[in-house]
Amino acid sequence: MASSPINTVSTKPDTGAPAGATVLIHLSTVSPEILEPTLSNLAVAFVDQPALVAIPESANLNSTRTFDSLRLLPYAPAAASKTQWVHTAADYLNTYKLAQENNATTCILLGAEPQTLQPESIRHLARTMLDSSADLVVSHYHLGAREGLVNSAILYPLTRALFCARPRFPLAMDVALSFRMAERLATAAQRFTATNQEDALLWPVSEAATAGYSIGEVSVPSRAIPQPATQDLNALLSQILASLFADIDSRASFWQRMRTTVPPRTIAAAPTPAEQLDVTPMLDAFHLAYKNLHEIWALVLPPHTLLGLKRLSVMPQEAFRLADNLWARIVYDFVLAYRLRTINRGHLLGALTPLYLAWVASHLILVQSGVPPEQHIEEVAQAFEADKPYLVSRWRWPDRFNP
Amino acid sequence: MWQQVELALSQSAHRALVTLANFLPGLLALLLAVLILTAIGALLAALLKRLLTAIRFDERLSHNTLVPLDWAPSHGPTLLVARAVFWANVVLGFLIGISAFDAAYAGNSQMSFFLLPYLTHSVGAILLFIAGTILARFLARTVLIEAVNARLQYARFLSVGVKWLVLVLTAATVLDHLEIGGTVVDLAFGILFGGIVLTLSLAIGLGSRDIVSRSLEKNVETEPLPPDFISKPQTTTETLRHF
Repeated sequence: MASSPINTVSTKPDTGAPAGATVLIHLSTVSPEILEPTLSNLAVAFVDQPALVAIPESANLNSTRTFDSLRLLPYAPAAASKTQWVHTAADYLNTYKLAQENNATTCILLGAEPQTLQPESIRHLARTMLDSSADLVVSHYHLGAREGLVNSAILYPLTRALFCARPRFPLAMDVALSFRMAERLATAAQRFTATNQEDALLWPVSEAATAGYSIGEVSVPSRAIPQPATQDLNALLSQILASLFADIDSRASFWQRMRTTVPPRTIAAAPTPAEQLDVTPMLDAFHLAYKNLHEIWALVLPPHTLLGLKRLSVMPQEAFRLADNLWARIVYDFVLAYRLRTINRGHLLGALTPLYLAWVASHLILVQSGVPPEQHIEEVAQAFEADKPYLVSRWRWPDRFNP
Repeated sequence: MWQQVELALSQSAHRALVTLANFLPGLLALLLAVLILTAIGALLAALLKRLLTAIRFDERLSHNTLVPLDWAPSHGPTLLVARAVFWANVVLGFLIGISAFDAAYAGNSQMSFFLLPYLTHSVGAILLFIAGTILARFLARTVLIEAVNARLQYARFLSVGVKWLVLVLTAATVLDHLEIGGTVVDLAFGILFGGIVLTLSLAIGLGSRDIVSRSLEKNVETEPLPPDFISKPQTTTETLRHF
């Protein structure tokens, strides 16, 4: 499995669902108001395929009309999670238990605001799962240049470079799982739920890559992306990156052996956003951090990277550009410092926030100049892939001289 | 008269030498106890480390626990156990040494009466000082990072202020623990602590004027913008979504 090509699926022609396949659709976060339109969409998506729809008892099913192809399955969650904008350990555990109780072979887990998903997208997700040999199918959302920036800056490039996995959204809200994938995720989830960490994040793509399972991706052209309840970027970034870095740490023996790279994506030309975005606050945050956090960054970053940041701090706004390889080095050094506990982990992740804002400002300035956002994100991901030997080397020999 | 002075001096020198002669064996016993126990601790720690590495203690521990244990490579369970054994021996050495030091004097000895409490208190004072310094650095970094992420221009000032608050508190506690200074320390601590708090309050108050005025402006009904302002290219920060 080591150094093998990426486990991408080959979708067979649409020949209908395999006989005996039971599909379980889990709506973990659905409120009574949006239940009806969601079920209508599901009924259209599964018009020729019966499906079980698991809905928490709190969603109040009494006033819901019946749909021919859907069998509603109210359930009391075995583990409850307060986080709604992303799937947590509790959601994956509940999905597996429901699938086990109802002998489902395929699970589809839809995130918050599922009524905004088009029936075609849901059908495509289910078909890709049923018609291919995939164990995990994740959604590929088509967001604007100013959306999903944490994913574009860190989650996608890191997951792609380390686990050689193609999915553009490693933390997608709408996923399809085979039974064995659901079981594997539930096992991982149980480690957290056993210690009352129901809100812990899981990383299905890295889990599937480590297990050698095949991963598929489907295009979801339109969908409202649910946003976190809190607006504290620092806290959210720390929460997500702590989980991702810990996941990377725990799978080090796997990703160090992966040598392949993902074939480049074909990027469609995108229109330049007409409305200019004010990046001054982000640049101000970076400059303020450069003046104050330099000594903390110096504990984490090597001199060469610090020199790059020094140059960045004196760049005028119009020419502000955080080079892709510099950004890759910064992220890799933070991953490494997280592992080595060079400084307190909370401090470490807090010190990354202004650097992330610098990347966002640089990305937005580049997009304003006419570069398609997806092209830049693709280049960032390739820079992460190219610099992976640096991380592997420093991971193995952290004390070696590093200029 | 000169003979009396000579006699007084020689008696005083004799007493001092006798006291020193009594003091030295106790001190030597203390040093020996610490050194021997430190050496034993180092030996035990090395043996234990080798043994635990041989039986792959770290791997066994991480595999056999339900809860995933998160250890840094430089702070693995093996190293932790070895260090714990080493430092336990050093502390034991100190205890034995102090006990031997105490035993070297008679119960009513002046030396024992004055020196022993200082010796025992100084161990506590050192621990307090180390803990205070670590806490000061931790809090200073926390405040600095949080203030920078909150985009406060006086982040460093705030961080340094917090650091000195904790250091002053630590110094006062250490001196109080050693029973040095008496009320002077209390008084100096009160003045210094109050001064730092007042300075920080003033700095935050003056530095937050803009934030407060902006917050008040939000409550005031906005007037229509002049036409020349509207014709300028509009920029926005509202459409940015990090997630």
